[in-house]
Amino acid sequence: MDGKVIVVTSGKGGVGKTTITASLGAALAVQGKRVAIVDMDIGLRNLDVVMGLENRIVFNIVDIIKGKCKIKQAAIKDRRIDNLYLIPASQSDDKDVIKPENMVWLTNKLRKEFDVTLLDCPAGIEQGFKNSIAAADEALVVCTPEVSAVRDADRIIGLLYAQSITPKLIVNRIVPKMVENGDMLSHEDVVDVLSIDLIGLIEMDEKVVVATNTGTPLILQDDSKAGMALQRIALRLDGHPDLPVENPMIQKSFWKKIGSKFSRKN
Amino acid sequence: MKFNTLLKKLMNKNESKDIAKKRLKFALLTDKLEIKADTLGDLQRDLVEVISRYFEIDRESIQIDIKRSEESSALIFNTPIISAISSRKRRGMPAA
Repeated sequence: MDGKVIVVTSGKGGVGKTTITASLGAALAVQGKRVAIVDMDIGLRNLDVVMGLENRIVFNIVDIIKGKCKIKQAAIKDRRIDNLYLIPASQSDDKDVIKPENMVWLTNKLRKEFDVTLLDCPAGIEQGFKNSIAAADEALVVCTPEVSAVRDADRIIGLLYAQSITPKLIVNRIVPKMVENGDMLSHEDVVDVLSIDLIGLIEMDEKVVVATNTGTPLILQDDSKAGMALQRIALRLDGHPDLPVENPMIQKSFWKKIGSKFSRKN
Repeated sequence: MKFNTLLKKLMNKNESKDIAKKRLKFALLTDKLEIKADTLGDLQRDLVEVISRYFEIDRESIQIDIKRSEESSALIFNTPIISAISSRKRRGMPAA
């Protein structure tokens, strides 16, 4: 059976797409899937450093599409996690060298070899975005609980619907304390505004910075809350769609818990 | 309801996330109403075609615009009517 192609997109930059793509790929591979992750950000590649594979790049996606190498030559195998491969972006080419039909061709080849192909879409709605969604079966839209990120997510969702793709939402960098104080949009607010299905909630987690510093897969970091949330998203993508979405909460002391029990009656 | 939230409500202080949500909803609404300049022109042409079956109108002084306010948006189409076209004459007209 052919594998599926999932695009991870957001519209706005800096909301955590690349980290999420890398972690979901790692989690799916650990769950036993054969996974290819493709960096679609031609000219501004980053997935390689986030995954800690930057020293092993020989060929890139543009080389594959121009016929300079085979897919197998460009795909870098992760040595820590079996069945996880990265196809890096080109750093020197212009982003317009790839056309949507090239991506359809490439992903059709990848479907034969891999159970899941994840496309790390660049920010914006230009060529890189068009290339990414032309080839995708499913889409994950990432946004943070900020006005700017939610607005861009709404635009992206509209463009995905126009391609007959029904996206699922990941709300990233939730700070439970701020949500409780009413100083951050809650995931309910975000879902209410965007009205699409939720597939995961990820809490703000300093371990993400540490994992990125060292190029270690987040899911291999001990007790990373974000890593655990991402593993659960990977399970939902892979045969467990009904796994409940956990709401990030403040770890409360005994007395505070009692207090909130009483005050809830108001 | 949480104590902090209750306190804020009592002090009549707006939660910043409520402001965020309100601004967001308004921004999304206006984003969706934003249309290309040619679209209004196309709409005007189609409207004139339909209205002309029922009324003789002054095509020179037609105004079409979208007016936005805090709460809602409205399509304003303003045209002087010169005369009505009788129903008999209308039936005699070929379907446009």
